[in-house]
Order: sequence, then C-alpha cells, then structure tokens
Amino acid sequence: MDGVHDMGGMHGFGPVVRPGVELPYHERWEPRIFALSALVGIEGLGAGPGRATREEMDPAHYLAASYYERWLYSAERRLLRKGTIVSGDVEEMMERLAAGEAMPEHSDAAMAERILGDLRSVYPMEAVPDDARFEPGERVRVKRMHPVGHTRCPRYVRGVTGQVEAIRGADRLPDRAVYGEEVAPEAVYSVAFSSEELWGPSDESAWVVLVDLWESYLEAV
Amino acid sequence: VTDVEDHHHPRAASVVELRARALEALLAERGLVSGNAIDAVVELYENDVGPQNGAKVVAHAWVDDAYRARLMNDANLAIAELGFGGAEGDNMAVVANTPTVHNMVVCTLCSCYPWPVLGLPPTWYKSPPYRARAVSEPRTVLREFGVDLDQDVMIRVWDSSAEVRYLVLPMRPPNTEGWSENRLAAIVNRDCMIGTALPQPVEPEIS
Repeated sequence: MDGVHDMGGMHGFGPVVRPGVELPYHERWEPRIFALSALVGIEGLGAGPGRATREEMDPAHYLAASYYERWLYSAERRLLRKGTIVSGDVEEMMERLAAGEAMPEHSDAAMAERILGDLRSVYPMEAVPDDARFEPGERVRVKRMHPVGHTRCPRYVRGVTGQVEAIRGADRLPDRAVYGEEVAPEAVYSVAFSSEELWGPSDESAWVVLVDLWESYLEAV
Repeated sequence: VTDVEDHHHPRAASVVELRARALEALLAERGLVSGNAIDAVVELYENDVGPQNGAKVVAHAWVDDAYRARLMNDANLAIAELGFGGAEGDNMAVVANTPTVHNMVVCTLCSCYPWPVLGLPPTWYKSPPYRARAVSEPRTVLREFGVDLDQDVMIRVWDSSAEVRYLVLPMRPPNTEGWSENRLAAIVNRDCMIGTALPQPVEPEIS
C-alpha cells in the first residue's frame, strides 16, 4: 500500500529532533499499550495483521499520531475484527472511568509467563532455498508495482537496479501472508543500491542503501 | 479532561491515554488480559532488555577476535552465547564499521529495530524526518547528530524492510588497550549501535 508510512526520501519533515533524554517512551500508558498489543496477538484476541492495520490509518491521522497511538489503533482494530470487543465498548468504558469507577483488575500469572516466553523466543527465517533465482553479485531490478494491500517493497527502490549482496534466508511474502494466505517461503535478498541510481545527482558524496527484498519484488536485468 | 496521577508529575491525560486505559480496563474486566502480564512486559523492556545488552556484545567482539568472527558469521548464535535473543531479533545481522565504511540503520516503512540488543526504539528513530532522510541524505543527517565523516568514508545505510534486524559494530577507539569488557561497554551507547554516533574518543593515559 502506497501510504504515508512509506517515507523513504520524502521531503518536508525538517531536521531529526532529539529532545533531551531519549527514552523509548514518555508516558506510562505507552509501554502498557505496547504490552497489551503483544498480548492481543499471543492470546489470540485479535484478527488480522498489526503492521498492515497501522498502515490503513487515515494518512493525516497516521502522521499526527505518536508511535504508541498507532499501536493502540491497531490493537483496537484487531479486537473489533475478531469480535472480542464491539463498536462502542471502549467509549462506554471511558465514560465509566471518567465517572470515577476504579480500573478493573485481573491477575493471571500463567499469562505473564506465556507472554514473557514468547518475547524471549526467536523464529528465524528458513534456510536459503536451493531454487533461489538470483545469487550474490548479480544485478537485479525492483519491479514497477503499485499494490493496494500491504507490501514491504518501499516505493523509492521500485524500478531501480541494484546488486544482490547476500541471500538472507527464505520467508513468506508479506504481501499475501499477512492476510492469512498459504504461501511458500521464498528467498529474501539484501540488495545494494547506489545513491546515484536511487536519487540521481546529490550534493553528498556517493553512498549505498541496502534493502532486504523478497524474490517476488525482483526481476532479472 | 481527567487529572491522572503519573509516577513523576500530575498532568491532564490526553484523549489517547484515556482511550488506552479504557481498552486495558475493558479487557481486564472480561478476564482476557491481566495486569501482571502487562507489568511483566513493561518490566522486561525497562530492566532486562536494552542497549546495555548490545554494548556487551560489542565489547566482547572488541576483545575476542574469535567471538567477533562468530558474530559476523552467525549473529543470532553469537548474541545468544551472551544470553540475549527474542522478539524482533529473529534474524540478527551485525555490520562492522571500518576506517573506510560507516554503517547506519533505519526502517523507512515503520520502525523495525533489534529489540533484544537495543531495547525499544527511541522517538527520533520512529520519527518521519529520520525515516525519510536517512536513505536520501545520510551524511547530512549524521552531521545533525554531530558525526562528521571524512568524504572518503563510504556510508552504507541498511533499510530494515524485511525481518532482518541490524546491529552496527563500531570501531574500537584508540587508547583503550587493556580495558576490561565492562569499561569498554560503558563507552558504547545506543546510537553507536544504530550508526548515528561514534564511541567517544579516549585520551591516552599518562603513566
């Protein structure tokens, strides 16, 4: 989906701002909604993808929202989609809390163990497949495309030629897998692009951008 | 707007915060999400998982060439040797700076970041200016961070567009011969391992 989340190369955002101490978050609700989002996934409370759901936010809302507001948005959408909550539930609880009701409490030690266990687990990609179409050193071009749904192929590399630097492993194409489609893993390549090929002439001396791309995004040169 | 008592200071809660609290309350009331599970995750990333882990990996690689070779060859395994690993570190890759190559890491599409070794990402890493500009004017961005590289140093920007998560291995500064790993780890901050900072230069010790 060619939304505002796909920011590589965009102009107009100004300098990178780093105010004071650079904590990952500034308010207590932020890590809590991060944790809640993880639980929605692990406990099977939601339906559909998280990242792709955040990309579906209204563009103006996406840009105005903080990182953790986007996590709140996707958690709520996933819970609604599954039917765990229904429209109006959150507003009703907001009113009850505003009226002075205490936060309901629920304790479950086994749930805490499950989430910690999951966050400490790793799920590596599968090994490099024998039928990988390209090999390190080979020139490849990123396909021209304009997908309506989720994709991990950034706009700024489309149509650009680069060189395969490494094959990272095999993984399911997110464009289809995030929607629950059964797809076979395919090779994922680190492709190196020269700054000249990506952006044309620049005031800066040349640099290289490396992007990890699924085989389906690439074509032979 | 309700006043919410924070750990640090009382202030007015935003609508987003009130909504986040209501969602947690709703799921707790229904017995679907437990407060102690949420607390456990928050504590994990506040106490156990953060850039102090990555700094240990870097310091160990600086003093042990065999470890460094294992780290460059199979980062997942080598990082696990030190007891680190987990979500958003499923496919770790370490990229080493040299006198002629400087690496920096970004995620232009969202905010992918190697949690097990660096913790949760800082605000600037998730911000539109960094995500937009790291790939299109990296030298200018680095200068804003106070890093002024020689023109002949090649910058390599890693856009974390798939499930690989990158850790930058900075160069060991001169004048640190004989230092303990703990002392070395203390000069490796988070930004050094994202590639937007360099370890602070060390003055030679006068004996």
